[in-house]
This record gives sequence, C-alpha cells and structure tokens, in this order.
Amino acid sequence: MAAGAAIRIQCAEHVVRARLQAWADALRLNTGVPVVLDVAVGEPVEVETGGAVFRQPGVAIHYGALGSTGGVCVQWESARAAATLEPGRTTARVTLSPAAVCRLDECASSFLSAVLILLLRRAGWHHLHGGIAQDPAGRGWLIAGDQGGGKSTTTALLATSGWRVGNDDIVFLNAGTAGRVTLAAARTPIALRDPVRARFAAQGRPLPARGKFVYWPEELGSRWIDRIEPDVIAFVSVGGERTTHATPITARQATARLIRSSAWVMLEPGLAQEHLDLLGRLARQVRSYRIRLAEDIFAAPERLQELIA
Amino acid sequence: MSTYYERHPGLRLTGVEDEGIVLQLDTRRYFSVNESGFVILEALREPKTADELVEVLRSEYDVDPEHARASILRFLTSCQGSELVVRVDAARAIA
Repeated sequence: MAAGAAIRIQCAEHVVRARLQAWADALRLNTGVPVVLDVAVGEPVEVETGGAVFRQPGVAIHYGALGSTGGVCVQWESARAAATLEPGRTTARVTLSPAAVCRLDECASSFLSAVLILLLRRAGWHHLHGGIAQDPAGRGWLIAGDQGGGKSTTTALLATSGWRVGNDDIVFLNAGTAGRVTLAAARTPIALRDPVRARFAAQGRPLPARGKFVYWPEELGSRWIDRIEPDVIAFVSVGGERTTHATPITARQATARLIRSSAWVMLEPGLAQEHLDLLGRLARQVRSYRIRLAEDIFAAPERLQELIA
Repeated sequence: MSTYYERHPGLRLTGVEDEGIVLQLDTRRYFSVNESGFVILEALREPKTADELVEVLRSEYDVDPEHARASILRFLTSCQGSELVVRVDAARAIA
C-alpha cells in the first residue's frame, strides 16, 4: 500500500479534498486499515450530544452521544465544524463551515487530527503521547513522560546522535504481529521551544501558534522511522542533578505512567478494554526506566543508551 | 438474603505482574490493586456474595476463612467508595 493511502478524504469540493488529502498523505500513517473522512462544506447541523465530554485544546469530544447509538460527536471550537462517528465504523462524517474552510490548515492540525485519532482507534491503533526512536543497536524506544518533561528535547538530541527517530509527540500502538506491540509514528516534525532550540545547530522553522520551532529528523542528521517494536520505555523528566541517571521501574508502574500518557483510553467504553490491555502488554514487553535528564545529556546524548545497556 | 456484588459497568481491568491496573471510565480515575484484589475483581465479572468470594480466594491461597472474609469486606467497601464495585439486587443476581 502506498504511503498515506490508509487515510482517504472524500469531498465534493475538489480544492478542499485535495488540500486535506495532501495533509493526510503527509502524515504517512500506513496502518493497513483504511479510514475515511467524508467531508461536506456547509453549516454543521446541531446533533444530540448527550453523554460525557472529553476536551482537547480547541476540540470537544462528546462520547456516548448520537442518541441511542452510542457514537461520538466531535466539535471544533475555533470555527464551526463537527464530525460524527458511528460505533464500529471507520468512516467519519465531517461538516466544515465556510469559516472553518478558511482556516483549513489549523482545522486539520487540531479538529481533524482529533477525528483521525478516534478513527484509527476503531482500526485498532490507539493514541499515546510520546516519541519513538531506534538506537544504533536496533532497539526500539518509546520516549514518554509528562508535558514539559523533555520528550522533544530527548528525541531531538537522539536524532543528532545516530539514532533514527519518528516524532516527539504522537504515536499509535497496535497489537502488532507475533504478540509484539507495535508503535507507529505520524510524520510530524519535532517541536522545540526557546531556549532549548538554541542548543541545536539546525535552524528549524517557527511555529508561532505553538511558540515553538519545528525540525524534521533529517534536519537534525537523522532518518525518519515510521514504526518500531519497542524494547525500552524511557519516562523522561528534567531533574536538578548534575548527571543524567536512569532508574528501572516495574511493569505495573510503567502501565500506570502509560495511562497518564494515553488519556484517550478513558473514551468509548467499547474500546477502552482493548486500549488498556495494549498498554499493559506494552509495559510487559519492554524494560522501563525513569530517566532524570541533566545538563550532561546535551554533550553526550549517547549516555542514554549506555545507562540502560 | 445475602448481598451480591459485581463490577461497576465503568470498570476496565488488566493484569500486570500478577497485580491489576483498574480504570474507572466514568470518573476517569485509575488505580492499582494487589494480587488478591485482582483475583476478586476478576471474579466479579459475575455477581457474587462475600462468601462466594471467600471460596474464590481460598481456591487460590491458603487463607483462614474468617480472615479472608474480613479482608474481602474491607476491599469491597473501598471499591464501592471508588465506584469500582456495586451492590446488585439479589433477584437480578440470581436470575
């Protein structure tokens, strides 16, 4: 299957379809299961949005909505746009107002990304905040941790040190083959804030909406990797110590930390058990470490690999 | 008539290292439970009385029945407070 072919955009407005298909293809998420965004341009019709609400920045997700069907309704809060997903279906019906079409890039990176996460979940690919990388020995790593904990900095440093990297923020986990959980990365750039970005020779490009600068792995001297079978999870945080150090943690502790990085596990009761089981399987599959990052990691990123050798 | 218990409909459970990680989807909280707690929550896929849970635990561990019963009741009380376990109408449990 061609890269990106797993996400299909349907829309009668050819310009909108072409732009959204280009966005979807650029993600290079090839899950092997087609998912479809069936897009119409017009004013979204009000739908019954009972049930619980899960909020992401600028997006409200009503689950257990759509009357008795138990589907999901997603609403964009920056301009009128809505999507409905029936239970078990890998097609979302999306309505974009003309105002939303005028902000199509923002709409795609915010609202449609949330819809896509829900669709991929129905296809067996469950969202997790984190980055993936492969060390020079071929081991797969998940770089996880709380917001502001250093995931992006770590991923960028590894990219400069001969590791292959995916991205720093969004990965999808799947049951994989031969009993090994697989993690897939969307092709999205690594985003760094000041003053950390000044530590890298590459210039990057500004992303004013997020107050960050973004880098493709290749700009940092790396090669992009689209998926791994993880062997190691590094839960990173920024410490006050002089040297970076690693502490092993148990699979149960790792599962609890993964839940914190995978808030979507709480959505849609019919999918929550599969998502939770995958997090538990992932934790059992790997060796997990709590990594406290210190200044020395900038001079010697390879120390991360040595710490868990 | 005995009191029956079962899992709250919002509970999801997975086993890790003989222990359990529990999600409560309605409250969006998660918990870890020890090995015996995991065995009890697994057993509560179907409604059970405290006495039936004692037998479940005794089939797994060499434990004094009275001590097991007291521990189970404490655990069930704690789980009810966290909306992990609910009491079930006896007629429905038996049906």
